[in-house]
Amino acid sequence: MKINVFGTNISALVCAGCLAETGNQVVLVGHRENDRSEPGLVKLLDTQIDTGRLTISNNYDVESDYQIISFDSGQCAEGKLIAKELAQGKNPNRCVIIRSNFTMGTVKEIEDLSQIDCVINPDFASDGQAILGFIRPDRIIIGSRNNESLKRFKRLFAPFNRTKNVMIEMSPESAELTKYATNAMLATRISLMNELALAAESLGADIEEVRQGIGSDNRIGFCYLYAGIGFGGTHFGEDLTRIQKIINPSDAREGLLEAVIRTNEQQKQALFRKVWQHFDCQLEDKTITLWGVSYKANSNSIEGAPSLELIKAFINQGSTIQIFDPMLDCNFMIWMRENLSLEQQKRVQTVTEMYDAAKNSDALCVVTEWQQFRSPDLEKLKTLMKTPMILDGRNLYDKEWIEENQFTYYGIGR
Amino acid sequence: MVKRIQQMINTSAYSNLNQLSHAAKERHLKALFEKDSERFNHFHVQMDGLLFDFSKQNIDADTLDELIDLATECGLTDWTEKLFSGKKINHTENRAAWHTALRDLESPPPEVAKQWNKMEALVHQVHSQQLRGFSGKPISDIVNIGVGGSDLGPLMITHALDKDKPSYAPDIHFVSTLDARQLQKLLQTLDPATTLFIVASKSFSTIDTLSLAETAKTWLQQYAPSELAVMRHFIGISTNPVKMTEWGILPEYQLLFWEWVGGRFSLWSTIGLSIALKLGMSGYKEMLAGAHAMDQHFKNTPFDKNIPVLLGLIGVWNVNFLDLKAQAILPYDSRLKYFASYLEQLEMESNGKRTHRDGTEVSHRTCPILWGEVGPNAQHAFYQLLHQGTERVMSDFILFAQGQALSKRSKFHQNLNIANCLAQSRAMMIGQASEDLHKNYPGGQVSNTLLLDQLDAYHLGMLVALYEHKVFVQSVIWDINPFDQWGVELGKKLAIDILEHIETQSTEQLDSSTAGILKNIWKQNNEN
Repeated sequence: MKINVFGTNISALVCAGCLAETGNQVVLVGHRENDRSEPGLVKLLDTQIDTGRLTISNNYDVESDYQIISFDSGQCAEGKLIAKELAQGKNPNRCVIIRSNFTMGTVKEIEDLSQIDCVINPDFASDGQAILGFIRPDRIIIGSRNNESLKRFKRLFAPFNRTKNVMIEMSPESAELTKYATNAMLATRISLMNELALAAESLGADIEEVRQGIGSDNRIGFCYLYAGIGFGGTHFGEDLTRIQKIINPSDAREGLLEAVIRTNEQQKQALFRKVWQHFDCQLEDKTITLWGVSYKANSNSIEGAPSLELIKAFINQGSTIQIFDPMLDCNFMIWMRENLSLEQQKRVQTVTEMYDAAKNSDALCVVTEWQQFRSPDLEKLKTLMKTPMILDGRNLYDKEWIEENQFTYYGIGR
Repeated sequence: MVKRIQQMINTSAYSNLNQLSHAAKERHLKALFEKDSERFNHFHVQMDGLLFDFSKQNIDADTLDELIDLATECGLTDWTEKLFSGKKINHTENRAAWHTALRDLESPPPEVAKQWNKMEALVHQVHSQQLRGFSGKPISDIVNIGVGGSDLGPLMITHALDKDKPSYAPDIHFVSTLDARQLQKLLQTLDPATTLFIVASKSFSTIDTLSLAETAKTWLQQYAPSELAVMRHFIGISTNPVKMTEWGILPEYQLLFWEWVGGRFSLWSTIGLSIALKLGMSGYKEMLAGAHAMDQHFKNTPFDKNIPVLLGLIGVWNVNFLDLKAQAILPYDSRLKYFASYLEQLEMESNGKRTHRDGTEVSHRTCPILWGEVGPNAQHAFYQLLHQGTERVMSDFILFAQGQALSKRSKFHQNLNIANCLAQSRAMMIGQASEDLHKNYPGGQVSNTLLLDQLDAYHLGMLVALYEHKVFVQSVIWDINPFDQWGVELGKKLAIDILEHIETQSTEQLDSSTAGILKNIWKQNNEN
């Protein structure tokens, strides 16, 4: 079947690659630029381009059987522009699939402009696991009112629905809200755990033990139940705000979901507060180490990352910062230029070896859960650091082990 | 050659004005409008951003000429020169009153510029959420502890310009009363981890302010882990760095001003920190720029076109020649809720005096009682007295040409507001005769109208500086020192004495009224 996939984000690239892999003729109407940060994506795309089933081009056929819109959530205007062009097509069997997480109402506008009933199929895969999420999804949500479109969609996605049927049909509105609601639910769980972590700290409890206790309750489950230094990225915050606006358009009182965002923003600075209190509000001459900048492991994305809030906080108190992140790239340098003064930038040093970042340091903040941070050489760290202190933003370590090695240990909620 | 400067009652203008006042007392205000259809054109002046209409004053061209002569004979030009050049014109305290230097953005004194930089850094830290309390959370609430000039100016301005507050600015609260009820109520709603106190006191020894600051410190000590952590929550603003350090204010949290800044003129100094925290340094400097524009107008404009000079002289005419008893301040904009209380201090603490500069007693009236309220509310409160009471009162109506928004409802409210302002000044002027005396309005109540383009930092700075210079003009005519306030000292001294009596439960040597009241209080407290 002939398919156009519109978009340039990871979701679009994965969709185009996977559909080419199942034998379709796919045109990616966009370009490759984010493929390196997603595990397996470079290989997938290269292979499919070599077979000739995947091409990347700005030219596309409006008569193709499937038109898949996979722009970023903020690109509603681009979506509408494509819709207008599709309206010129004559193929009566075309199927328009919207995988973008657009603002509520955009899909209706796209249907009006293109004169085609759309199928909404939200993408739930998270970055870092996008390919697996596409080929082995735990559910495929389909929002449509048109039986013909539904049939065509099911035909295309049949190869990814083999073990058991995971397709769930619903109205387009419900499909849109399901996407928002999933993110809102996950984000709320995280902020709730972070609030409970504060209670744990006050009571001398360990939130990790509490997590085991509550996660084993079937009604609760273990997923997204970690206390930490807050979620990053843009999707959670965006969807929380969207639902909040639907519930409370006047914005007069703070609702639950706004509180979730506020709690999360505060949580991003949790490690700063611990260091600040440890040194009695005096950080002017201190050297702080950050292990990890990206907002999650196996990604170079720093959007909304807690590390950025930490860097700003420490730098504004006059500290010096030494940073190691395995995927640190130019987006961090751009961020520094835009957010720090020249004098402040001079106090931020990035290194390419994780132990180099700990030299003469007064505090080691573990910010991202990269695998290589999980089992550090404590003897080496102790020799390198000025003050042996570890702040474990992801609760990666056995607290007793760290303390037995004469380090001061601060986790989240323990 | 030293110019001979006369006291008001010895000038020839004074005699002439006295003559003119007889006819003025006989005529009705509305007759002046009937006689001259161009009266508005003859009796209003303008500067950029501000129109001053004094056509509804009981005044004619001859009176105006004589008033201007009076200013000349009293040496206003010389005094203005001394004011602007920082001469020690507050002679009873041997100080200058150089607040005009605080708003000279182009060439400020170096010490002023240095404090602006320090303010700017603090404001930036707060606005970027990087000024931290003991827990490491950013400061979200500011409590200004100060009284008099350290309270009224910043309170009035920050309230008026609340809508200009950017989203990243903290919430600002003011406490001043030494009974601590305001403070205690506020503390119940604030998070100690994110609250910063500004302790604003010129001497850093005012008991009102320092007692409240101690209460705030005690509150923080319950939560903060160390004394250093507690002091992360206090900014001091004073002329006395030694006292600030003694109290524990950290050097980087100390802001200075100088003895040549009078308390009621101090909002232009670092005392305006709360204003800068609300509006940003740029908003604060806009306010200074507006005041500076008024300074330039006052300094460089001939008396007959000079708004502060005319405003002051008309006040003198009304008080000393027409014997009017009080001054009402009636802003037609709810954002100016605290403007009248601000002017109460500015005018009455400055010119509520009965001694000439040479130490002799004055033989004429000086500052009238001043009060006021937001116009539309006052209409339902004390306007009855203005329309039908026996007191002859002068009023200042203050109006802004631009409304708050462009929506249809906003425009309607703005038009309603303008209509009411103009209707009230007209009703007071023209009156309405009726055979039923209950419904008879004598009219003839005089008023000024100040029309400003809009209410923003610039125009508000201009308005405040206008009244400052008006007060100064009147002080020159009355030959009194507007910059001291010895009158407030006696009460402070007696309070210390009475506090000792209370603490020892003794009424010895107290007058029978004081003793009687104290005994009743003690009786009640013992019963409870």
